[in-house]
Amino acid sequence: MRPANRNRGALRRPNRLENGHAMFKKTWRISIAAAAAALFLGAAGCTDVTLEPESTVTGANVFRDPTAYRAFMAKLYAGLAVTGQEGPAGKGDIQGIDEGFSQYVRLVWQMQELPTDEAVIAWGDDGVQQLNTQLWGSSNQFLGSMYSRIFFQVGLANEFLRETTDAKLAERNVSAELRAQIKQYRAEARFLRALSYWHGIDLFGDIPLVDESFPLGITPPQQSTRREIYTFVVSELNAIRADLPAAHAGEYGRADQGASQMLLAKVLLNAPVYVGENHNAEARAAVESVLGAYTLDPSYRHLFLADNHTSPEIMFAVPQDGIHQQSFGGTNFLIHASVGGDMNAASWGIEGGWWGLRVKPEILAVYPGGVNSADVRSTVFFTQGQTVAINDITQFQQGLGAPKYRNVTSLGVPGSNPLYPDTDYPMFRLGDAYLMYAEAVLRGGGGTRAQALAYVNALRQRSYGNATGNITDAQLTLDFILDERARELLWEGHRRTDLIRFNRFTTAGVWAFKGGVKQGKTTEAFRNVYPLPSTELLANPNLKQNPGYTGG
Amino acid sequence: MRRTVVVSMIAALFAGIPLHAQQGGQITGTVTSAEGGRALPGATVSVAGGAQRAVTGPDGRYTLGGVAAGPRSVTAAVIGHTASTLTATVAAGQTTTLDFTLQTSAVGLQGVVAIGYGQQRVRDRTGSVATVTPDQFNTGRVVSPEQLIQGKVAGVQVNDTGEPGGKTTIRIRGGTSVNATNEPLFVVDGQPLQAGGGITEGRNPLNFLNPNDIESVTVLKDASATAIYGSRGANGVILVTTRTGARGAQFTYSTSLSSSRITRQADLLSTDQFRAAVAQFAPSNVAVLGTSNTDWRGLVERNAGGQEHNLAVSGTGQSMNYRLSLGYLDQAGVLRGTDTRRLSASATYGQQLFSNTLRLRANVRGSRINDSFTPGSVLGSALSFDPTQPVMVGEGTYFQWADATGPNNPLADLALVEDRQATFRTLGNVEGSYDVPFLKGLTGTLRMGYDYTQADRKIFSPIAARGSGGGSVTRREPSRLGTVLDAYGRYARSLEGLDSDVDVTAGYSYENAREEYPGYFAQNLQSDVVGPNGPVSALVERTTFDVQAWRLASGFARMNWNVKDRYLLTLSVRRDGSSRFGPSNQWGTFPSAAFAWRLSEEPFMPHLGPLGDLKVRASWGVNGNQDFGNYLWVSSYLSSLGTAQAQFGNTFVSTIRPSAVDPNIKWEETTSYNLGLDWGLWDGRITGTVDYYKKDTDDLIFNVPVAAGTNLSNYVTTNIGSMTNRGLELGLNARVLNGAHGGLSWDASFNASTNRNRLTRINAIGGGSERILSGAISGGVGNNIQVLQPGAPVYSFFVYRHLRDANGKPVYADTNKDGTINEKDLYQDLNGDKEIDERDRIATHSAAPQWVLGHTSQLGYGNLDASFTLRASMGNYAYNNVASNLGYYNLLTGAAPRNLSTSVLENGFKTAQYFSDVYVEDASYLRMDNLTLGYTFNGVRGVDNMRLFGTVQNVFTLTGYSGVDPMGGLNGIDNNVYPRSRTFTAGVSLAF
Repeated sequence: MRPANRNRGALRRPNRLENGHAMFKKTWRISIAAAAAALFLGAAGCTDVTLEPESTVTGANVFRDPTAYRAFMAKLYAGLAVTGQEGPAGKGDIQGIDEGFSQYVRLVWQMQELPTDEAVIAWGDDGVQQLNTQLWGSSNQFLGSMYSRIFFQVGLANEFLRETTDAKLAERNVSAELRAQIKQYRAEARFLRALSYWHGIDLFGDIPLVDESFPLGITPPQQSTRREIYTFVVSELNAIRADLPAAHAGEYGRADQGASQMLLAKVLLNAPVYVGENHNAEARAAVESVLGAYTLDPSYRHLFLADNHTSPEIMFAVPQDGIHQQSFGGTNFLIHASVGGDMNAASWGIEGGWWGLRVKPEILAVYPGGVNSADVRSTVFFTQGQTVAINDITQFQQGLGAPKYRNVTSLGVPGSNPLYPDTDYPMFRLGDAYLMYAEAVLRGGGGTRAQALAYVNALRQRSYGNATGNITDAQLTLDFILDERARELLWEGHRRTDLIRFNRFTTAGVWAFKGGVKQGKTTEAFRNVYPLPSTELLANPNLKQNPGYTGG
Repeated sequence: MRRTVVVSMIAALFAGIPLHAQQGGQITGTVTSAEGGRALPGATVSVAGGAQRAVTGPDGRYTLGGVAAGPRSVTAAVIGHTASTLTATVAAGQTTTLDFTLQTSAVGLQGVVAIGYGQQRVRDRTGSVATVTPDQFNTGRVVSPEQLIQGKVAGVQVNDTGEPGGKTTIRIRGGTSVNATNEPLFVVDGQPLQAGGGITEGRNPLNFLNPNDIESVTVLKDASATAIYGSRGANGVILVTTRTGARGAQFTYSTSLSSSRITRQADLLSTDQFRAAVAQFAPSNVAVLGTSNTDWRGLVERNAGGQEHNLAVSGTGQSMNYRLSLGYLDQAGVLRGTDTRRLSASATYGQQLFSNTLRLRANVRGSRINDSFTPGSVLGSALSFDPTQPVMVGEGTYFQWADATGPNNPLADLALVEDRQATFRTLGNVEGSYDVPFLKGLTGTLRMGYDYTQADRKIFSPIAARGSGGGSVTRREPSRLGTVLDAYGRYARSLEGLDSDVDVTAGYSYENAREEYPGYFAQNLQSDVVGPNGPVSALVERTTFDVQAWRLASGFARMNWNVKDRYLLTLSVRRDGSSRFGPSNQWGTFPSAAFAWRLSEEPFMPHLGPLGDLKVRASWGVNGNQDFGNYLWVSSYLSSLGTAQAQFGNTFVSTIRPSAVDPNIKWEETTSYNLGLDWGLWDGRITGTVDYYKKDTDDLIFNVPVAAGTNLSNYVTTNIGSMTNRGLELGLNARVLNGAHGGLSWDASFNASTNRNRLTRINAIGGGSERILSGAISGGVGNNIQVLQPGAPVYSFFVYRHLRDANGKPVYADTNKDGTINEKDLYQDLNGDKEIDERDRIATHSAAPQWVLGHTSQLGYGNLDASFTLRASMGNYAYNNVASNLGYYNLLTGAAPRNLSTSVLENGFKTAQYFSDVYVEDASYLRMDNLTLGYTFNGVRGVDNMRLFGTVQNVFTLTGYSGVDPMGGLNGIDNNVYPRSRTFTAGVSLAF
């Protein structure tokens, strides 16, 4: 084997070149030097290193497409239902928490239900047990995430309003037709901002008020008072009303006057908590102005099924869809987390339960006929294999189940996807409106007791299937309203606000594990609002922590 | 030509025909050291292009017989000396004398080392640079090139998982970043690879490079050495030089077979213990238990075989050299379902023209890797599956829990779920260097390279697979094309008046990369008969597409100034422009300076005794880091997929979302200081280095919370923190026995390094200290066990102090008599507020070791060689997530009781205690990584060299850590890590 010899042959050509004519060699050398110099200089000329994204549109270009306005407005709604741009998870809206945990409805629901007598959760996720016991600290990830989710909505709504001013629309030559639509979009953006601000002051008290006049950047805003935001929300809701479609006339899933007046009534009804004033008359008027546009769903159970979008009772829903709107929050969480133990998951239209949510024993007291009485609302409880009492909060089969939401239609057909339910989350509905009307009347807000009684008995009639459950005028008391709200609106995300309005959330009212002890105990009044998140106190030095809570 | 070659080769191999059986002459002589003239035993003397080779005896003498007549180039080489080549004219039947005098060199180091954009003599280096050559490489089952230098270089920590070809982490003097990469920059033959080596899909992207093609690996550690790579040098640089044809034509073939076996399994309850625990803690579940005794872990593991073949042909001509190589590797993993197969090829061609004034080199390599992965859930399910249940419950029917919360039957997943990837990658460059004729000493170099990767990942769960949501298909097909252009000139000349040598290198570099990420996901399939390969009709379909592009333009310059061979000065600067920053911050400048003083050359130090070499070095430099996401500076609107829409009436509307950005984001900058000492004793028989360094990183890029309402999300990525690393490195190489007495030689090298990392500051916007949780663990969504906290090492564990009883056992009882056992009973109330919350957790320990030690011994006796490598890590901690996640009795009470970690027997926990410091364990270890025994046959006719070898990897591990592998979790979280194995390899290599 002599490859070396063969190589000599292969090299003949360069050798010949090398031994060639001197002039030829020189020409070669000069050419090479010139080519190298040209390459050097040419290459060194490339100093432009700016690259713009190709798979996303920059803010400078996005509104060249007139459909962008609707797509942006749709994101304001989607911010309540999904957690990011991929669904069920991926490209999340907010960070610092598991994306599934960051879903708006799920966060609101947990903060409104877990600290009350209505619910308890078994899991060990960081901070979730603090919600069961009211012993939250400012570093709790759910509080931080709720706060971020609220301001994510506010920030996006502000940006939408900044990008749709008359000046900007004129500059972009937006058609008159589209400008008319954008007028409604702007009203919807302001409604959604008001909704989030309401959640903000209800949960956290004094928070910053940031509107579209606030410049985008990193400068921290000042802290505002609960009163300032309350005033802002009320004035906003009054201001946008005319730009919204009439009650029950808007597209499903979008806000109309039914939604905005319902929100206004809720804010006003809780005015004693927020600003120490009674606005029951205005609250009664607001709810009264729209409730006529809706009728009670003949079937209570239908309100929580996969086809609940057909219910005539729902005034504002956060829609969910197994195909198009996937997240690990909302009713996906509510259905999966409430199924476990001896429940057959397929009956709930899902592939399996997450063994999480049950009720605390004390709530059963509001069901006089027991958990399987003639009141259809008590049939949401699941008893088989479950104990009433809870010794160990982390054991799913301690505490009765209440798997009220199902991914099954009223015809018994499973939803489109066992992993991601179709069931919409009914945020505002007529049953709630009836009870709000009655409560406003009882609190001296005008209206008539007869009408109040009629509304209450309409709900009772639906629940019992006949008049046997009806109450008398004498039985129509505020205490009755609170219990009736528990029965009617169990696990619908209202309980904490209701208990605070009735002053039974902290210093009064005892239920299992409240205050961190098994038999329960009262807690300090400052726990009527949550602490401002520790991360937020660091990011915004203008904030002062809520009384009673220690800092970061 | 190729056919002739193959025929000759086969003939040589199998027929044993001596291809050059002809009368020749003899060469004889001695090999001595230039220093002191002593004889050098054990030196190899070989004839270029021929089969003859000899080893010198104790007296330094050698004899080569049968050398073909004519002028012959003969080389003598021995460790510790620079090889020398002389020419002898051989006449048939005559004996020619040829004596060699070899200059000493540092042990294991050749005369020059690669540095960025050039080479440098070892003795002239001013920075902290270490080179590892093939005789020091780790052998055995080596899939990824970085495993070659594991344990070999002080201050370089290479950690791998036990998975063949799995991801590795490399830390050179600790990490300098939090959000950007901490991996060093890899430069292959002058061509920088993307951070992390390539696209993230699949296993280690560096697997494309066949370790057998590597000539040397050089690690640039301090800023003086790395600053020439500017914005990418902050984590150190690893220069890989591939092999070229070096001497006359030669074929090499090597093959090896290996077998691997799991060395340690997680400690779980035995079937009997499990039954007893269920009876005691979940009596209602006794009825649920089966009657089997199934060893689930045993059923998912196996003895894994591997084979490797490498064939290379290389050669040199008068003005050219070439090398072609072909490699095949097939390595199974010790978990069923894991496999990697690689076919790789490379071609290198070098040509010199015009009396060697123009040098061209072209290099192309390609590989195709077929990986299959064990489905993700298998290992976890195999650990926790109820051992009383059977694998099958009838013909073809796997046992599965009826309840969805139970784990999947791991054997069903192994049988049904497919997860495969094919990765094709090719890398190539052409380089020309030209000695400019008009100005002596000026050389211009132009290099153009490309790096293309295409991968296809297919994950398929059939409808029958439990928990797959009705079957699912995932396809991801990322591709990446990177191109690079380097143009630089080097001017070197002696300034005789100043008694000095100066060389200056200056140039320009331009890199571009574009990546595309198409992806498809379908779930709830109508039919699964075509697997992942056909169009599927599915309820949920999600298509994703993303384009990522970046660009880097740079100018750089370096000057080396050597005065009297005593005072060595290096200055360098690089100016980088990166597309990752907005126009106002695109450009950054990264300077460095280093000075070295060869004390041993000073006339006033003539009598150092045995100390033959002494050099002190000092350097300072600034590096950057820019390896984080693209487009962080520009606000853009991201569209939603069809699965994240809003419902308006009966229609679903796709949305757009603006991103939150800081348009002024800029480079992370690391300023480094290095103080070093190089010394040599007894003609370089013992050499050593000591380095002390400090690295301060500023403008650390963090993804930090911003005040709510100010921007478009709750987090913005911006420059907000600082950290420091400081440490000491010691390296020692010694020729303990030089083979003079009885022929035994022993080369030993030791390295030791310590690094202290501290996060000094996180500047939350508006001030104050911040604490950022990280390190997600298994068990409870959103639970994090690590923290970024000023004053502590990055990613310190963040835990409660568990109260201990008199015996040191963690407390688990209702000590405060409030009716429940909760945190207040178990943990120290560190802030004394009577509550137990996050403020009572403290940052303690981290996964980064305090000391890393390495030792390699190479022994030779006649034709026998042996080597072993020991590696120790001290002061590193691990969070035993297997014990914490399977360490409480309530796992027995669900619808599908789970088997428990034996830690539960000791701790007695009924509920999970994820944040207890009980699970943060000292994971210091001493491991014998490698033990190799080889024998070289000289006398085989027709073969230049034949070596048989056997290697054992992971011979033993000594550790007090209770989990399966003390370094299993690369980030310190040991959660069902790929089991580590012991591997036996036997192989043969032939050169002819």
